[in-house]
Amino acid sequence: MSKSLVLKNICKSFGSLMAVDNVSLTVEPGEFICFLGPSGCGKTTLLRIITGFEFQTSGDISFGEKNLNNVIPQKRDFGIVFQSYALFPNMTVQQNIAFGLKMRKMPQNLIDKRVDEMLELMGLSEWKIHYPSQLSGGQQQRVALARAIAIKPNVLLLDEPLSALDAKIRVRLRAVIKRLQQDLGITMIYVTHDQEEALSMADRVVVMRDGQLRQVGSPWDIYKKPRTSFIAEFVGTSNFFAGQKNGDRVDYGKFSFEVTDMDNVEGEKIYLAIRPEDIEIVGRTIASDDCIPSNIVDVQADLITFLGAVVSITVNFEGQELLVDIAQKEFAKQPIAEKETIHLYFPPETFHVYSEIFKKLI
Amino acid sequence: MNSPQREDTLLSNYTVSSARMEFDKFIVPTVTVFILLLLFFFMLFPLWMILKLSFFKGGELALANFTLDNFKQYFTTAYTLRSLWHSLYISGVTTAIVTVLVFFFAYALTRTTIAGKTFFRNIIMMPLVAPSIVQALALIYLFGRNGLITSHFFQIDWNIYGATGIIVSEVLYCLPHAFVILFTTLSAVDIRLDEAAESLGASPFKVFTRITLPSAKYGIISAAALTFNLTITDFGNPVVIGGNYSVLATEIYAQVTNLYRFDLGATISIILLVPSLGAFMLNYYISRKSFSMISGAARPFIPPTRKLKKILYSTFCYLIAFSIILIFATVIIGSFVKVWPYDWSLTLEHYKFPSIGGYSAIWTSLWISLIVGVVGSFITLVAAYAMETRRPYFKQVMYFFSVMPAAIPGLVMGLGYILAFNKPCYWFYGTPWIVVINIVICNFTLGILSSVSNLKNIDSSIEEASISLGGDTLSTFFKIIFPLSRVAFIQNFTYFFMRSMTTISAVIFLVSATVHLAAIEIIMLDNDGWTASANAMCTCIIVIVFVMIGILHLVNKWAGQTPAKEVPSQ
Repeated sequence: MSKSLVLKNICKSFGSLMAVDNVSLTVEPGEFICFLGPSGCGKTTLLRIITGFEFQTSGDISFGEKNLNNVIPQKRDFGIVFQSYALFPNMTVQQNIAFGLKMRKMPQNLIDKRVDEMLELMGLSEWKIHYPSQLSGGQQQRVALARAIAIKPNVLLLDEPLSALDAKIRVRLRAVIKRLQQDLGITMIYVTHDQEEALSMADRVVVMRDGQLRQVGSPWDIYKKPRTSFIAEFVGTSNFFAGQKNGDRVDYGKFSFEVTDMDNVEGEKIYLAIRPEDIEIVGRTIASDDCIPSNIVDVQADLITFLGAVVSITVNFEGQELLVDIAQKEFAKQPIAEKETIHLYFPPETFHVYSEIFKKLI
Repeated sequence: MNSPQREDTLLSNYTVSSARMEFDKFIVPTVTVFILLLLFFFMLFPLWMILKLSFFKGGELALANFTLDNFKQYFTTAYTLRSLWHSLYISGVTTAIVTVLVFFFAYALTRTTIAGKTFFRNIIMMPLVAPSIVQALALIYLFGRNGLITSHFFQIDWNIYGATGIIVSEVLYCLPHAFVILFTTLSAVDIRLDEAAESLGASPFKVFTRITLPSAKYGIISAAALTFNLTITDFGNPVVIGGNYSVLATEIYAQVTNLYRFDLGATISIILLVPSLGAFMLNYYISRKSFSMISGAARPFIPPTRKLKKILYSTFCYLIAFSIILIFATVIIGSFVKVWPYDWSLTLEHYKFPSIGGYSAIWTSLWISLIVGVVGSFITLVAAYAMETRRPYFKQVMYFFSVMPAAIPGLVMGLGYILAFNKPCYWFYGTPWIVVINIVICNFTLGILSSVSNLKNIDSSIEEASISLGGDTLSTFFKIIFPLSRVAFIQNFTYFFMRSMTTISAVIFLVSATVHLAAIEIIMLDNDGWTASANAMCTCIIVIVFVMIGILHLVNKWAGQTPAKEVPSQ
C-alpha cells in the first residue's frame, strides 16, 4: 500500500488560459494534503487531472510504479467526494455505498459485510434503508465518504466537501474526516478555499495561485513563514506597508524599524507585512522595557470591533489603516476607548519582508 | 477474527474488470454512429430521393440528366402555381391572426388577474389531442352547405369551404403551439419593468407598446414562425374543407395519388420545403436568442387589474375557449346524432364504420402509437445521453442532424419514404413498421431537445461519482441516469403517443391495403361521404388520447414522487 502519487511538470491549458502551470508534487502514502487557493486558482482542475476526469496537456502523473497518464478514472481506484455529495438519489444509503463494490463484481455476502462496516464506521447504521433525500446535508456527506472509502481507494480525493454545509456541521465533519484519515491511514487530497480547514486538517498545505504551486509546507510553516505577500494575506491576514531597505533596518516615513529576517529580499524598495495578532500594545500586552524603542509607534484607535475571542482595533498609522488584534481577555483588563492614543510595538522577528506585492497599497 | 491485513487482500481481489472497460470505450461511439446511421438512412436518404427525382430526369443521377423542367412546368402551369400563392396567403393570414389572438390570450393569463386561468390553459391545449382535421370537420357541420348555423339557423347560402374555411381551421389548430411559446415568454419577462415605466408616468398604452411588446418580441417572432410552418405544412384541414382551393400540401398529394406524377410531387415538395425550412430556421435562431432574455428576477406577483380591462380580457378568453369547445362538441355530438342537423335522435350507427379499416385501424393506430411512444422516448433519451455524456463523440454533428427532422414537413418525408423504400429489399415497406420509423424520425427533434434539457438538470458530478466508483457507461445509464429520467421519459412518451395517434400528413403516403390508421381513416370516410363516421373516428382518437393522458398523468404522479415516500421513516 505504500505507494506515492507523483505529479511531474503537470500543465493544463484551456485555449490560452493556463489552468495548471507546471505543477510537480509528490504525495506520500498516508499523507493528508490540502490544495488551498482562491477560486480560479486551478486547484479543482488539478484535482480533476488526478481523478482522470481531465487529461493534462503535458506532464506525467504516476502512482507507485504505474504511470497513470492514459488510465481512465474507473481504473485509477481513487475515491472521490464531491462538493454536491453526488449521491444517487434513486438508491438507498446501503445501495449507494455498495455501488462501487458491485462494479467490482464482489460477491453479495462480502458486499453486505463491507457496507455494514462502513455504516458503522460513519455512524449511519440506522439510516441504511433511507434515501439520500431523507438525510440532512451532513449525513449525506457522510454517506458520500462511506461510499468513496468502501472500495478501499488508493487515494481519497475530496473536492470542497464541506462548503455546502453550515458552519457548525462543517467543524464537526472536519474532525470526522481527520480521524478517518488517521485511523485508516488513507492518502487524502483535500481541495478547499477555506484556510481554516486547510490549516486545521492537513499534514501539508499546498497554496496555489494562477495555476502554480506558490508554497508547499506544514500548516505552521505556511502561516508563520508565508513565502509571498499573497500568501501572507490569503492565509490569515496581514498589514502591509512599503518601505526602504536601510542595512538591517527598514525606513518607513519618519520611522526606521528593526527587522530580523531580511534574507530573501533584494533591492531597495521592499514591503513589510505583519499579522494583526503579532502587533503588541505597549503597557498592555508587553512591558515597555521589553521593546526596542525604534519599533514603537503612537497611533489613535479609530474603531474597536468586538469579535468574541478577539477584539480588533483599527488604527490610523501614517495615513494607512492598520489592524491590531488583541485577546478579549487582555482587552477586558484595561479596555481601550475609541479615539484613545495607544502605543504599538512591532516585534522585529514578526515582520515578513517581500520585494513584491500582489495588490496596490493605498 | 478478520485482521485488517486479510481484509485488504480480500478487497484487492476484486477490481474493475479491464476487459469491460475496454469494451466500454466503444459504447458511446457505437450509439452515436447508430443514431447517425438511423438519421441518414431514414431522413437524409428519403430527402435525397426527392431532390434527385425533382432535379434529374427520371431520377437518374447524371450530369446530362440534370433538368429544371419540373420546376418550369410547375411555375408555368397556372393550375399548379396557384397552390403556392394559396399556401402563402393562407399561412400569412393565419400567422397574423394566431399571433395577435394568442398574444392577448397569453397576456391575459400572465399579466392580468382574471379568474379561471387553469381552465383557459387546459382548454387552449385541447387541439393537441386530435388530428388536424377535427377543426375542418366541425366547421363544415357548423358553416357548411348543410351547416347548423348557416343553413339551419340563418338559412343563408354562404358556406365556409375554401380559403376562409382553411384559415379558420388552421387558426384553431395552431392556438396551442403558439400559446406555449408566448405564455413562456410573457411569464419570463419581468413585470417590474412595466411597473417601473408606469411609476415614471407612462400611460398604459405607452407601457404596452414601449415595454411589453418589445420585451416579448422574440417570443412573438418565434410563435409566428412556428404558426407559419405548421399551417403551410398541414394537410388534414385543407384537404377536408378546402374544396377546390388547393394548397401546396394537397397539391403534392393530388399529383402523387391521382396523377401518379411522383416527379411533380417531389418538385412541389422542394417548393414547400423552402418556406417551411425558412420559418423553422427563423424560429430556431430566435428561440436560441430568447433564452438570454429570460430574467431570473421575474416574479409571479401580478398587481390587480382594473375592472373594465378584466371584463374585456375575460370575455376575449371565454370566446377563444368557447370556439375550441364548440369544435370538439360539434364533432363528438355529430358522431352520435342520426342526421346532422335535421334529426337529432341519438344513435351509434356511425360507429359501425363502413370503411375497410374500421375498428382494426383504431387498434393498429393504438399499438403503433404505444410502440412509437416507447421506442421514441427511449431512443431520444439514449441519443441525448450519448450527446451529453462526459466524453461525447461527434456531438455537434449529432445535434445538427437531430434538429433537422423538425424542419421537414411530414408530407415531404412521407413522399421521400415511398421513393426511397418502395423496393422489395426493404421488407418493412408496406408494414406498420415503416409507420413506426417515420413517426419516430419526424418527431425526433422535440424528443431529443426535451431529453437533453432533462439530462442537463442532472448534476454532472452524479455521473462522475459513478465513474469514479468503477461504473461503466451502461451501468451508469441504466442504474442511475435512466431511473432519474423517468418523469421526462413519461412526458416524452405522452408526446410521441399523441403525435402518433393524431398525425396525418407524415403517414398518409404510408398507409396501404394492409395497414390502416385511424387518423387516415377519417379522411377516407369523409372523402366517401361518411362524414358522421369520420366524426365518430375522430371521437375515438380523442377518447383514446384523453384516456392515455389520464393514465400517464397518474403514472407520472407516482413516478414523480421522491422515493422517500415509499419508505416508512423511522
